[in-house]
Amino acid sequence: MFVPTAIAQRIGPIVLCSIGIAGFASTLSTPAPAKPDFEHDVLPIFKAHCLPCHSTIQKQGGLTLDSGSAILSGRSVTVGKSAESLLMDRILGRRNLPRMPMGFAPLSDKDTQTVRNWIDSGCLLSSGKRAHWAYAKPIRPPLPALENAAWVRNPIDAFVLAKQRVQHLTPSPEADRTTLLRRVTLDLTGLPPTLQELDAFLADRSPNAFDKVVDRLLASPHFGERMALPWLDAARYADSNGFQQDGDTYQYVWRDWVIRALNDNMPFDRFTVEQLAGDLLPGANKATPEGRDKLIATAFVRNNMLNGEGGAIPEEQRNVALFDRVDTCSTTWLGLTMACARCHDHKYDPLTQRDYYSMLAFFNNVPESGVPSDTFGSYYIAQPWIYAGNKVAMAKLWSLEAQSAVAKEAAKADEASTATQDARAEWESDLVASPAKQKDVPGEILALIRIQSSKRTQDGRSKLAAYFLDHGLSGEPKAKRDRWRGLERELADLKTSLPKVMVMSDRQPRKTFVYSRGNYESHLAQVSPETPASLPHMPSRLPKNRLGLAEWIISPENPLTARVQVNRYWQQFFGRGLVKTPENFGVQSEPPVNQPLLDWLAVEFRESGWNVKRLVRLIVTSATYRQSSRVTRQLWTRDPENRFLARGPRFRLPAMLIRDEALAASGLINLKMGGRPVYPYQPKGIWDGLNITDERDFSYPESKGPDLYRRSIYTFWRRTVAPGDMFDAASRQVCTVRQSQTSTPLHALTTLNDVTWVEAGRALADHAIRESRPTPSARLSDAFRRVCSRFPSTSEQRVLERSLDRSFAAFRADPKAANEFLHQGQSPPDSHINPVEEAAYANVCLAILNLDEALTKE
Amino acid sequence: MPDNLEREILKQITRRTFFKQVGYGMGGLALSSMLLESGLGARFQAQKRTDPLAPKPPHFRPKAKNIIYLFMAGAPSQLDMFDPKPMLVKYDRQECPAELLKGERFAFIKGTPKLLGSPFKFEQVGKAGHWVSELLPHFKEIADDVAVIHSLSTTQFNHAPAQLFMNTGFQIPGRPSMGSWLSYGLGSENKDLPGFVVLISGDSNPDGGKSCWSSGFLPTTYQGVEFRSQGDPVLFVSNPDGVPREIRRDTLDALHDLNDMELHNTLDPEVETRIAQYELSYRMQSSVPELMDISKESAATHDMYGTEPGKKSFANNCLLARRLVERGVRFVQLYHRGWDTHGADQASDIKHGLVKRCEETDKAAAALIKDLKQRGLLDETIVVWGGEFGRTPMNEGRGGSPFPGRDHHPHAFTMWAAGGGIKPGISFGETDELGYTVAKDAMDVHDLHATMLHLMGLDHLRLTYAFQGRNYRLTDVYGNVVPQLMS
Repeated sequence: MFVPTAIAQRIGPIVLCSIGIAGFASTLSTPAPAKPDFEHDVLPIFKAHCLPCHSTIQKQGGLTLDSGSAILSGRSVTVGKSAESLLMDRILGRRNLPRMPMGFAPLSDKDTQTVRNWIDSGCLLSSGKRAHWAYAKPIRPPLPALENAAWVRNPIDAFVLAKQRVQHLTPSPEADRTTLLRRVTLDLTGLPPTLQELDAFLADRSPNAFDKVVDRLLASPHFGERMALPWLDAARYADSNGFQQDGDTYQYVWRDWVIRALNDNMPFDRFTVEQLAGDLLPGANKATPEGRDKLIATAFVRNNMLNGEGGAIPEEQRNVALFDRVDTCSTTWLGLTMACARCHDHKYDPLTQRDYYSMLAFFNNVPESGVPSDTFGSYYIAQPWIYAGNKVAMAKLWSLEAQSAVAKEAAKADEASTATQDARAEWESDLVASPAKQKDVPGEILALIRIQSSKRTQDGRSKLAAYFLDHGLSGEPKAKRDRWRGLERELADLKTSLPKVMVMSDRQPRKTFVYSRGNYESHLAQVSPETPASLPHMPSRLPKNRLGLAEWIISPENPLTARVQVNRYWQQFFGRGLVKTPENFGVQSEPPVNQPLLDWLAVEFRESGWNVKRLVRLIVTSATYRQSSRVTRQLWTRDPENRFLARGPRFRLPAMLIRDEALAASGLINLKMGGRPVYPYQPKGIWDGLNITDERDFSYPESKGPDLYRRSIYTFWRRTVAPGDMFDAASRQVCTVRQSQTSTPLHALTTLNDVTWVEAGRALADHAIRESRPTPSARLSDAFRRVCSRFPSTSEQRVLERSLDRSFAAFRADPKAANEFLHQGQSPPDSHINPVEEAAYANVCLAILNLDEALTKE
Repeated sequence: MPDNLEREILKQITRRTFFKQVGYGMGGLALSSMLLESGLGARFQAQKRTDPLAPKPPHFRPKAKNIIYLFMAGAPSQLDMFDPKPMLVKYDRQECPAELLKGERFAFIKGTPKLLGSPFKFEQVGKAGHWVSELLPHFKEIADDVAVIHSLSTTQFNHAPAQLFMNTGFQIPGRPSMGSWLSYGLGSENKDLPGFVVLISGDSNPDGGKSCWSSGFLPTTYQGVEFRSQGDPVLFVSNPDGVPREIRRDTLDALHDLNDMELHNTLDPEVETRIAQYELSYRMQSSVPELMDISKESAATHDMYGTEPGKKSFANNCLLARRLVERGVRFVQLYHRGWDTHGADQASDIKHGLVKRCEETDKAAAALIKDLKQRGLLDETIVVWGGEFGRTPMNEGRGGSPFPGRDHHPHAFTMWAAGGGIKPGISFGETDELGYTVAKDAMDVHDLHATMLHLMGLDHLRLTYAFQGRNYRLTDVYGNVVPQLMS
């Protein structure tokens, strides 16, 4: 690579040896293979450096480097003699020939050596090396035979223990019951256990007490909310389009579909098919709730960003959305970074540019322009979309449409009747004759009436007729017309209020081409919908459309889907996946830390009928999951990242759940599910920077009352400016399957000073004061337990009381400050509590909400 | 005591793991002992900090300690500011030679465009004889301190990707920005402020958005922190109403003690990070407001910069940048947007829009250099000025617009740099007579990055981070240090 020679020249020998030991050890420790073969060793190098100009598509200088046989039939290589090969001359720039690739960085030393070795060792084409592990279908491995395995509760543990023994590690003891309950409740519902739940669990000494808790949590409606969070990140779900206009959308209808599906334990294969291709399933329709749900599911595909600003070229934007759909689909289901192949064949994985555009073809038949097509106030949405209100509203919509159609027919029939014609003539002559009646009639109409009827223009005639129908009718015809018009108005109002969710449709077939270097205006070969050639083929029984694609994704032959999913579930519970890179299972990924476990889980998941709750139960009831997360010196030295799982998971909660926890522990939380997104507290000025044009108003419509305390999943997500208190969250702009975990002082400032936490601290104090024995120790202990689930130790209790005393003293000296501190947020302080006392407790409670333990899943 | 012992060991391990990640390992140790002999390492030995932003030894003796990067988002027109082309004036409004257009793709230009001569007068200033147009009357005051680079090129011609490329060395979001690499490589001298601060002026945020100062795959500790000009300068930096600083201190003492117990209980070094995180947040609460308050600056200073306390302006941000580097912040980046002078309308043409942008920035940028110099800070601070690409020698004429404007031009553009080991008063690189391509001393974005890192004491080849199976660098697999730019 670039390192050794360059550095040696620059810095000299002394520093080089120290770097050789440390910094670039990894680079130097993998020498070029002695007997490389074309397919595995040489082709990736050519792909990275040479094929843009020297391939079957572009044969510059008549040279083709994309197949070994083509090279051998040409003159560029003398087999067995690299020193005499033109190819090496060009790679090295020997014999005064320009060095290739021209204008780009030369090949690294290692790559050069690989090519040289390949030629010298006889130009081996393919050695039949095993394919990359992730591209071979997982086979259920046998359970490892283990002695002294009393620790093992289920097969997961057997695989984990076997791996630990190789590493000379032993499992940690089981976490105490309180920790375990808090861990599993946070993991399955995203909420801390209530005091009642804690007491019930601690009192239940039956051997299956924990299993019962798991059953209860799996049945909780909040299970779907918790499990939806990573899926929304993957689906790049947001409540606005992004870019300059950043119009709002109604995609929350889809968010609710996801939560429902997860709560109903919809099998993952159906979950997949409905979201990718629900519109192509039998029974998909707008009119019935079940049929509509199949359409709503496909909003997954339509969650892409939309750019409707002035300079945006619709066709370009449409292609940007198509790229996004391919990338999202391949990352979410296949764990492949296909985006590389948009411009060139993938440099490492067996994905060609043709593969990329063949995948794109599946998504290329949507009747859409690429930019928002319909505007409803602040909402900017793009065709195709459907009305998607609740059952009552939708029933009303269909009924109003039917009634309106009938009423219209009746009114129209009357209009054409001779009676109406006669009445019209009478109305006209009356109006001409009686100046008194002319008072309220517009001048234009009066003028028309004065014109002889045969001399009126077409336009004039229809204007007059319309005016007569609106103002001149009486009796039965008037009643009929009023009824029709009334229904129309009602219908229009209803339609305005209904959510309109963007969904998929294949109603506009288009041709798809490979784009040269990803440029949508530069077409190469035409392609048809097809899955990547190096992966198992789509069975011929499957249609070549999105439905076929979805069926292929969940087919047992697909080596990736089940592995990728179980790896993400694993990551959710243990902080890291068995494959560290959930977004990439390709050749460049790190091999799974425990492949037998990954494969066993994948096969188990698929063969269970893709039963998500069953898989989750398996994970959380394992002995592996139930371990204490306490670190020991040995563990930390041997396995700082806890890859071998000889201790339980311990990591900071996602910011959304930190907020939910504060709201739940303080009792402020409003657990209402679903519906339009809400607007909790946000500092002033965050959205204002968006006012680039006067096109629309970006002031923040802060919610009032209970909506302020909804769970974070329902917070309005503006794509250009994510909510200010959701630190470390995915951007929801592109598919994201791994959340970052950091700690910066900015996070601490948020949870100490944001009104959400200040108000929660006060509400927590109010509960503790009202609901426990009236001693400081009882109250503080109660508040502590509502957050951390356990009672504080004696020394912790001492610190809390010391802090309370100091706060008390400070607020007693400054009651005005106490009052200010208490009046934050929209919920009022408790008027039955002395303000100084309340403020003192509130301040300590704010600290409790900020404890490391509060922010962490232990 | 065993607990204390265990904790000590943990601390050691944490630090070691950290250094290993940083990529120093034994090499780092060997280096720091070499530096110690030269006296340079003493500073690092004396520091007892263990947080991720603790100062770290550079690879070799640095010329500069800090960088202030004046990012002119939208791409200023080099042809109307720094790179006069008499040929363009001569052939003004004549069709562009066909050979230049062959195989070209422009962002907006359609058909055969016409050349556009600059309507502005140029003069040569300073000992170096830098060419500068009448749009920048203050530039002559700093001409002898500045190296003007005429020969930059980039690979990107749309704003967001080009801004990302200029900041992260890659056009797609997800890579660490230069400020993040520097914070990661060198830490920051001030423990009460972030190591990388972003200040924004102009009509809105840059097109590349927050990804321009993202830490990418580096830990987010190293990401740029935006200091806002309205409301809390840093979100949530103020205590809640009714909570004076003493009460907050008490609260943090309690948190400290309780978290310390948690650390003893779990032995998880993450808890130690949490304790440090909360302490730093407390210090930021006093250091940030003090920093942002420019009202106590002298009248002479306000005059020089054109600053008005409380206003959102490039001038205020320039003054803040000086205050930030005074306090040891490693990398300060100013964004001023609105340079995208296509001439689609009057507001975006070179006779109005460009003139306005120059008025907003010229005086303050010059003042920043002068101010740093008079305070002895210019020697250790690199100031860089530039956009994400240049502008075409051709008039764009979007939709037949009568307003003169230029499209995006990645092949040749101008930037300038001063201070911190940059050779003062030189002109580097040339463009052809139409300003279309680089004619001499070509320099690309990676070369710029390599050179800046070099001045900061970092070898761009050795500042690496392992991610997804390979070592990444700011300069990707490219970049050459440009010795001619260094004194």
